[in-house]
Parts: sequence; C-alpha cells; structure tokens
Amino acid sequence: MGKRTIVPIGPYHPLLEEPEFFKLYCDGETVVDMVWETGYNHRGIEKICESKTFEQVFYVVERICGICSTSHPFAYANAVESIPGVEIPLRAKYIRSVIGELERIHSHLLWVGLAGHFLGYNTVFMWAWKYREPVLDMFEIITGNRNSYAMFTIGGVRRDINSEQADLLLKVLKDVEVKSKMLTGAVIDDPVLHARLKGVGVLTAQDIHDFGAVGPTARASGVDIDVRRDDPYAAYDLVDWKVITASGGDVFAKAEVRLLEIFESISIIRQCLQILQTLPEGDIKAKVKDIPAGIGIGHAEAPRGEVFHFVKSDGSNSPVRHKIRAPSYTCIPTFRRSCIGGTISDAAIATAAVDPCYCCTERMAQAYDINTGEKRYNAAELIRLSQMKTEEIKKQLLKR
Amino acid sequence: MNIEKFMGDVRLKYPKILDIIEINRKRLMVFLPREELLAVTDYVFRELECRYIIVTGMDSQEGYEIIYHYSDDSSGWMINLNVILPHNDPQVESITPVVYGAEWIEREIMDLLGITFLHHPKPERFLMAESWPEGEYPFRRKNREE
Repeated sequence: MGKRTIVPIGPYHPLLEEPEFFKLYCDGETVVDMVWETGYNHRGIEKICESKTFEQVFYVVERICGICSTSHPFAYANAVESIPGVEIPLRAKYIRSVIGELERIHSHLLWVGLAGHFLGYNTVFMWAWKYREPVLDMFEIITGNRNSYAMFTIGGVRRDINSEQADLLLKVLKDVEVKSKMLTGAVIDDPVLHARLKGVGVLTAQDIHDFGAVGPTARASGVDIDVRRDDPYAAYDLVDWKVITASGGDVFAKAEVRLLEIFESISIIRQCLQILQTLPEGDIKAKVKDIPAGIGIGHAEAPRGEVFHFVKSDGSNSPVRHKIRAPSYTCIPTFRRSCIGGTISDAAIATAAVDPCYCCTERMAQAYDINTGEKRYNAAELIRLSQMKTEEIKKQLLKR
Repeated sequence: MNIEKFMGDVRLKYPKILDIIEINRKRLMVFLPREELLAVTDYVFRELECRYIIVTGMDSQEGYEIIYHYSDDSSGWMINLNVILPHNDPQVESITPVVYGAEWIEREIMDLLGITFLHHPKPERFLMAESWPEGEYPFRRKNREE
C-alpha cells in the first residue's frame, strides 16, 4: 500500500453549516477510507423529553431539526396517539398532511439549492431558494411561524386552515409549480450536471438494505419504500398520489427523485384543500384525557426519509423512555459505500446527496476561560454582549 | 409478509422464544433470550428481508431492555425483538456483523447505557466526549429499587 494522506474536514469549516468531522484517508486523489465523528451537537433531547409532559414533548421534538420541524411532531403524534388508540378528526388528518407536504416542498427545494452550491453552480442555489421563500411565507400565514410551526397536538392540530388561507395557498402552489417545473427541466436536461453527477456516489439496493437507509436515498436506488403508503397515517391513504423511484442510485437519481416529489406533494395538498372545503370548520382536535401505560411506536415520512419515535408510558403524564431516530442516522453511514473508491472532489457531493442533517442548533450556555477555568460569561451576559454589539454596529452605520 | 404465518414460523423455528405479543395496531413485540438474538436477527433481516430501523436501549425494573426495531414495508408491520439483560450482567452479542447499519447505535447505547456488545467491530466512544468519566451512564436510573 502506498502512502496515505489524511484530509480533515471540520468540525468547524466554511463549507459545513453544522459541526461535524470528516477524516478522508486518500491515496493520491482516491478516497480509500473515511471516518466520521459526531457528538458536537448532542443535546440530550431524549433525556429532556422524559422530564416534559406528553403535550410539551411536541415542542421539544419540533426543535430537533429546523428544516423538517414538523416531521418529528408527526412521528411522535403517531406514536403517542397509538397508546390510547385515538382516532383524530378527519379535518385534522387533512391539515396534518397539508403541513407535512408543504414542508417536503420547501425542504427539497432547499436541498436542490444546496446541492447546486456544493457543485459551484450557484445559479441553481439562487433560484431554488428564491422559489422556496413563498412556501415559508405561506407557513407564516397558516401557522404563525416560518419554522417550528407548533401545529401538532395530541388528538389533532392546534390551528385550522380557513378558506381564505386555502385560496392563497392554491395561488402560491400554482406559482411554485411553474417555477419548480422550470427548475426541474433546467437540472434534468443540463449536460454539465449529467457529466458531474451521473455515476457519482452510487448506492445499490443491497447497500440500502445493509444500512437501513430510507427516503429519497433509498428510492433513488430503486427501493420502493415510503411510510406514507406502506403504513398510512394522516390523510395519505385518502388521496391519490404515487411514490417516485429511480434506478441509478447515483447523485443524479437522488436529485431527480426529490425534484419529482415536489409535484406529488403539490398534488396531495391540492386534493387535501379540496376536501377541506367540504368539511365543517373548527373540528380539528379529539379530546384525549390521558395516556395510559403502554408502548407506542410511530413513524412518519420526513423529506429525508422515515422518522421513527418510540414512546413508553407508565401511566403518568410524561414518557419514561422516548427514543428518536432521524433519517440521517441510517443514511449518513452509507458514505462508506458511496465515497470510498471515488475521488476527493466527489466526496462532498456524494455525502451531501443523502441530505444529511446533523440536528442543528447547538447552544452555548456558559463561557469559561480556557487557561484558568474561571467562568467568564453566562447565557444572559452573552445575549447582552451580542445586543450591545448590534447597537454599536447600528451606530456606526448611521454615522456613515 | 403474512404476520400470522410469521408468528407461527418463528415460534417453530426458534422454540426458545419467550413470548410474542401485539402491543399495538401493526406492532409486534417478540421477547427472546439473548442467546437467540443473532439467529433471530439473521432470520428477520436476511431471510425475511425486513428493513432495519434502529435499536432502543432502556433501563427498566426487569433489567436493561434492548429493543431491535425492524419494519416489513410490504405489510406495514413493525417487528420488535426485545432482549432483557440483567442489571448485574449487561452484555449481549453485537448484531453489527449481520446488520451493518447497527454499528453507530450500538456504540451510542454503549455510551449512554453502559451495555457491552460482544464482538463489535469498533467498540469506541460515539456521542460522549473523550473527557467524559468512565462508568458514568446518563440513561441508567439512579434511584432504582434493588
């Protein structure tokens, strides 16, 4: 074996939005081994959930991920509602699906943008993020927030979608559909992207089974799985849609699956809104008295794949154990098959192709002096410092 | 996959299985002794081609419960293999040699619950920092009634 070079990327690096650490072992240009280190973002959410009530856990798990912030409450609702066997109102089912699909649209657009950015194709990045913006605005109109929507609760949803909002949403969707069609055409027909992405980071159906990879990562390798169809929840078995698959298993196939899924999501939302018009407004929540002792296991199809929640209740008002598995947990390790043997320059996009999410938002609570170990600032002081700095910058700008 | 057939087959094939119960709609819990874990894992994951989801580690009154979750996507059923390890002897065979994707979660459970996974290919720390004290496991209950 020749001499190996280690290329370290992270844990803090301009290319990475979140802290993670990749060690690429290279022989010349070829990646021969890769090590991935984690734990920089560990927030102990599973443990925190044990100290919250079943109701409060929704708002904790919503903060696991800023991008797919409704998929965790979705899976948690499926898990916790299965313990007493709650049947949620029909209207709530449709609203849940609308929120879930809107999120898929904005998340897939975000990924397409980022993938373009990683390839140095910033036009795609600018387009995709521009077209994603109205979807976020729509979230704000319906839920009050662009992110972390706080829509879900045990037995239903917390806010209704009225006919005005539904009309506006249909208008926005029409626009998003036109723009996404243009974007999809531009990406799928681009010879440069074909040359850059085809045959890169290939995963076979066997690789997917070995690692338990899910979502678009699996579907791009021809593995026809989707929780929405296989174990239906919310309103997914009440509307007409199809699971998108591709056969290439490479980065291009993953892009194709995600782009085409946007149109399925738009179609699902349209059908849901149509049926919502015929249902009486206001009936959005079933009464749930308490959660008896038992085990609830729920899953939901997030934009990145299946989110899994395991909840054990002992009959008190908080879970005794809450296990969460995000899709990236089984998708990221596939880099062992997709990156090794490829070149260094392919490693970034092959890893990014699974749309990795490191469950962001790590927060510093206290700062210590590295030499003396003395406490320098606490959280409140850090906030005050940052506010002072903002004031300072404002003053300087006004002076100019 | 027909779930009734699975329940009959698995009992016949592995008579040491302690119990099989439907804990919820479409959720099956199979209780097994730890000696049978690798054989049943191989049957569920390789022969029946169920999809590996994740492993949950839990400290309960009876012992450390390790639950291996699999999904049969053709029927929507979830098959959960449950192994209970005594508090004074928390070790079990690693399933990573069979299920490649379980490497991380077994290391995570090692960190958080202090379970030893025998024959794990890379039994190193995963989530906890290198400076975290040995023998401190956040998911172990401190006030357990002995």
